[in-house]
Amino acid sequence: MNRELLLQAFNSLRANTLRTILTVMGVAVGVFSIIAVMTALEAIDRSVATGLSSLGANTFELQKYPATFMSGHGRGRFTNRRDITYREGLLFRTLMEGKARNIGLQVATSGAQVAYLESATNPDVTVFGADEHFAAANGFDIAMGRNLTGQDILYSRNVAIIGDEVRERLFSGSTDPVGALIKVRGDVYRVAGVFVRKGAAFGQSQDNLVVIPLPRHLARMSHGKSISITVEAPSRDGYQATIDQALGAMRVARGLTVAEPNDFELRTNESLVASFREFQQTIATGAFIISFMALVTAGVGIMNIMLVSVTERTREIGIRKSVGAPKRSILQQFLLEALALSFAGGLSGVLLGTAAGNVIALVFNLPLLLPWFWIVISLLVSSVIGISFGLYPAFRAAGLNPVDALRSR
Amino acid sequence: MGSTIIRMEDISRHYEMGEELVRALDGIDLCFEKGEYSAIMGPSGSGKSTLMNIMGCLDTPSRGRYELNGQNVEEMDDDELARVRNREIGFVFQTFNLLPRMNCLQNVELPLIYAGIDTRHRKERAIAALERVGLADRMHHKPTELSGGQIQRVAIARALINTPSIILADEPTGNLDTATSNDIMQIFEELWKAGNTIILITHEEDIAQCTRRTIRLRDGRVESDIKRST
Repeated sequence: MNRELLLQAFNSLRANTLRTILTVMGVAVGVFSIIAVMTALEAIDRSVATGLSSLGANTFELQKYPATFMSGHGRGRFTNRRDITYREGLLFRTLMEGKARNIGLQVATSGAQVAYLESATNPDVTVFGADEHFAAANGFDIAMGRNLTGQDILYSRNVAIIGDEVRERLFSGSTDPVGALIKVRGDVYRVAGVFVRKGAAFGQSQDNLVVIPLPRHLARMSHGKSISITVEAPSRDGYQATIDQALGAMRVARGLTVAEPNDFELRTNESLVASFREFQQTIATGAFIISFMALVTAGVGIMNIMLVSVTERTREIGIRKSVGAPKRSILQQFLLEALALSFAGGLSGVLLGTAAGNVIALVFNLPLLLPWFWIVISLLVSSVIGISFGLYPAFRAAGLNPVDALRSR
Repeated sequence: MGSTIIRMEDISRHYEMGEELVRALDGIDLCFEKGEYSAIMGPSGSGKSTLMNIMGCLDTPSRGRYELNGQNVEEMDDDELARVRNREIGFVFQTFNLLPRMNCLQNVELPLIYAGIDTRHRKERAIAALERVGLADRMHHKPTELSGGQIQRVAIARALINTPSIILADEPTGNLDTATSNDIMQIFEELWKAGNTIILITHEEDIAQCTRRTIRLRDGRVESDIKRST
């Protein structure tokens, strides 16, 4: 009996292919938007988890700007702050002497092109100005050559440590990069070492970088740019204590009086994750609202098409009743049709949405995934939409008087 | 003759058309025995179709008592009426009323679906019914691919499928030419001889002559009721 009903439903949907497809599309759009967004967000979310663990667990940063992802509220408040200078950084380091495992001072310029002989990278290399602590604070190991030394920094030597991706682009397998002269933003640097490849995080390569001594960077590239300070606590247990000490030391280094608030930002892994979550929440809520409205609209579309269908098939209903179809069967038949419409829409929305979400994931170099939770929810919700909006037309069909129904043309 | 299949006492059916009360049927008393072959005749508006709708449990009387096989029909709800239509009545309509998107086999099977018969038995019985009207070779054709006479034979097969107590045919030859009409009447004759109870509605005298009893209606009342023996 149920198989018969299912067949009947599909047959009558097939008989009006164009109409069916159009109705199905309404539901598909609603489900598509939520699934696509959720797939993409979940992909990014996963890479945030892996990305953060590769940043170093006990590390935090002091910066001029907070870790805003997209929420640009009150950006002006931060731009008007004094830059964090190299001098302040050095003072901070002195004050923190013995209290942290590692303190890295750094500044970064992105979008640089690096050249060696005839070959050149794309203009997308990040050039860091840093010191000998940069590698340790950021979890880099040296693969070839050596790290920056205190002497390099002190004398502002034109030496550079390059990331593995830069090495790969500039040097063929047999060439030893160490000692080679490369050109960065018009200046020549001697390659002192190469970092071990770290892989991607946040969907971005972490190996497309060049590190040069901080004073040299400040002089040649980032005139008076605010530096950031990376601090690695001695242990997990001492993490919070180290943060407190660092905040105090930074206030002293910046010359703040007791009454003045901090004019710098603390960035921890937690604050990174928190600001990402906030961003994720905003997007998810938006997608949810859009999907919901689209689904309600689609539901009205289903109701409309089912009412048309009932009117068109009044005679069929009459025939079925004349051979003994009970109300329940007619009701089930039309409900099943509405359900088939909405479920087909849900299914195609899930397929298209998962595909689109994963395309976004691919663009950002993230692993593919299926958002099971949202797939199940979407299919459930679209089914509920189909049944609830199909209910009225189905009851109308079931309640038809057989004599009148048979008389209709 | 055997037991009584239809017993109607004082059956009336009134419609309200705006202010006016239309008395489509106005106190009908009729009985039909098992194995009878009857025709109901009358001019347009005499209440033939209304009477057939009530006999076929598509409609319920405004007043009166209707017993079908001993069951009191006028007290039944919609689903009980549907069950009676499914088990006890086989309809044949002037306009055939087959479902155009289904093939003949599926059309004939339809009442069995609502009777809850499983697929295999359904198919067996539907094929047997189509064989009986000589259309087994067309069972996978759709009604649109058949002639009027063939379509009506499929409809008769559908009416027979659930071995109903009574076959109700509303102008079964009304849309057919004379030769085809004769074929259809031949089938009814055979069905009657095989023991079926048949009631035809017609306004054609020669069709009525094929039956063994003619009931004439006028203005919602029985005008005459003549039984012939052949």
